Amino acid sequence: MKKKNIMIKADHVSMRFNLGIDKGFSLKQWFVDIGKHKKKEKKEFWALSDFDFEIERGEVVGFIGSNGAGKSTLLKVIAGVMKPTKGQVKTYGNICPMIELGAGFDPQLTARENIYLNGAVMGYSKELIDSKFDEIVEFSELKDFLEVPVQNFSSGMVARLAFSIATIVEPEILIVDEILSVGDIAFQAKSEAKMMQMINGGTTVLYVSHSLESIKKLCTKVVWIEHGVVQKIGGKEVCDEYYKYMLLSQEKIN
Amino acid sequence: MTFINNIKYSFQKYGFLIEQLVSRDFKVKYKRSMLGILWSLLYPILMMIVMAIVFSNVFKFSTPGVNYLVYLLTGLTFFNYFSEASNLAMSSVVGNFSLINKVYIPKYIFPLSKCLFVGINLLLTLIPLYIVIFATGTGINFYHLLLPYALLCLFLFTVGMGFILSTISVFLRDMFYIYGIIITIWTYLTPIMYDISMISSKLQIFLKCNPLYHYINFARTIILYHQCPTIGQFAMCGVSAAVVLFLGMFVFKKNQDKFIYYV
Repeated sequence: MKKKNIMIKADHVSMRFNLGIDKGFSLKQWFVDIGKHKKKEKKEFWALSDFDFEIERGEVVGFIGSNGAGKSTLLKVIAGVMKPTKGQVKTYGNICPMIELGAGFDPQLTARENIYLNGAVMGYSKELIDSKFDEIVEFSELKDFLEVPVQNFSSGMVARLAFSIATIVEPEILIVDEILSVGDIAFQAKSEAKMMQMINGGTTVLYVSHSLESIKKLCTKVVWIEHGVVQKIGGKEVCDEYYKYMLLSQEKIN
Repeated sequence: MTFINNIKYSFQKYGFLIEQLVSRDFKVKYKRSMLGILWSLLYPILMMIVMAIVFSNVFKFSTPGVNYLVYLLTGLTFFNYFSEASNLAMSSVVGNFSLINKVYIPKYIFPLSKCLFVGINLLLTLIPLYIVIFATGTGINFYHLLLPYALLCLFLFTVGMGFILSTISVFLRDMFYIYGIIITIWTYLTPIMYDISMISSKLQIFLKCNPLYHYINFARTIILYHQCPTIGQFAMCGVSAAVVLFLGMFVFKKNQDKFIYYV
């Protein structure tokens, strides 16, 4: 039975990577290995181990943790980009993953062509893009550069265009991986306002950031991940604990 | 019936994405060239002229009773499609890893859109083919209406091969080099520039295991000999295409979740 208010349910999710096979199988390696009796030891790496949680409608969940803790992997598993090694994730409602903006851009195409291409990659229909085209152009402030190939854009301009395309829909679940820092100060304020507007509209948001300040400002629930394991789930006070932990580990190094 | 419904649903949902990917390939391919899309017409004609000169004048190849130019161009049109589409499809999954790793898109879309992209090119190369058919006085007949069947079989066969090749190349990058050699051998094992009757009958049996031979033969029966293909020819084309397509779908589906570990 489907509970009405639960949007995401992670059921003992684990994700394993084999570090030994990063470049795939190659013939040369195979020939080299024939002579050896021992099989190459597989280095396993658990990016996520046993994640078990539920997220309800309208919650704004912040994920914190040091680099390589498994935050982005978790978001990718929730977005359906990766299939977990063990367990499963159930999501109820349409997801808008803003994990790496502009991934669907083709540098040789113009901004106009890329709006359609990237929109299609995000799963939008032609009608939707047609109707929101002016809104995208206006929000990105790139009206004068519509016919310019994206390879000639600055990285800030690319990010602005990508953010504008990603946020024209009103998804039920929004996944944001550290993108509020795109563009100049004016655009940052504008994109943050847009995010707030989506949050206030009842969207469930998963938000990864290293800025504890913005996590505290936006989130109702905080999940602290370290070495692929959930350290703590709670309210904003988790941020302070994480901060203390970081200071402590910093002192140990010194 | 759920299988048919699934396909219908996928096309509704991802049709626009496929359309965008195909048009992207077109724009990127012709953007910087002066003649643009005209190259799709010029290239096969120029290639054919070169090959016709080499094979009919230097090697003295000929096909008794029918026009050698039309014979050659029919084979080339079919084989070039297969060669180009299967190559592009093979590298499509590896080449789009950055995208596969970030957004959820069904992965079969990449090889499929490459086969469609080259397929549109194939339709354009039919124009020079028909120009040659008329210019050489070969003429057309009612059976030409059956040609789309051969083209469809060729397309489905290529899609199946694209699925298999793109899966292998994810796990075995050496495949890009190996396949280059395979396709060269394949070119010579397919009766494109020579007639199969020039070969010893033992070898003929082997050459007839090649599905591409049957698609090309189907087209030549119509275009050159003005005959209706036999039921056997219809069956050979349809069965070989269906078998390879389903094999490809099976291999691809079985392995696609593992792709992400081999980035």
